[in-house]
Amino acid sequence: MELSKNNLKKFREKKKLTQEKLADLVGVTRQTIISIESGRYIPSLQLALEFAKVFKCRVEDLFGL
Amino acid sequence: MEITRKRIMQYLFCVALVLAGIIFNHYGVGSGEFMAYGSVGNWLIYIGFVGFAVTTLQMLSRKKRRIDERMEFVAAKAMRITYLALIIAAFIIIILDGIQPITIPYHLFMSYLVCGLLLIYFVAYHYLLRRY
Repeated sequence: MELSKNNLKKFREKKKLTQEKLADLVGVTRQTIISIESGRYIPSLQLALEFAKVFKCRVEDLFGL
Repeated sequence: MEITRKRIMQYLFCVALVLAGIIFNHYGVGSGEFMAYGSVGNWLIYIGFVGFAVTTLQMLSRKKRRIDERMEFVAAKAMRITYLALIIAAFIIIILDGIQPITIPYHLFMSYLVCGLLLIYFVAYHYLLRRY
């Protein structure tokens, strides 16, 4: 399964966050952020909600099927 | 250095192993039947001390590793691959034993099997970690 919409990188760059900083904010490793941004790994609902909380947006704005 | 509940439990388990080993040795349980360590007690004491060393080294280690959901996902996948490899290995061993009976000692066979499974898990985990 692949995500048809993945705006994580766009949101991260808009917020001027590094991958390392974002990883610290949501409690994962930088490698996980890289994997999600490149579409190799689909985040869990919990992690997606964490991203939405950091970027103050809806999960649907970040990811979509 | 943090002493957590988990660490205390690990130390208690090691103490229990050593105590069990001493009791087993005192009553001579398994003496003469356990080739590698003389008796069951000696083996338990050995494992207990290895446990002490590993727990202490883990506690002294400053490096804090972060384990996230991706790693857990990869570990679960690697575990599934290892399990599949175990089933395939069992079939191969049955066939090979049918062709020519395997005569290696049981303990050596188990040691090879465990080492092989650990190797498969290690390789699968690192391969999947790069892939995902």
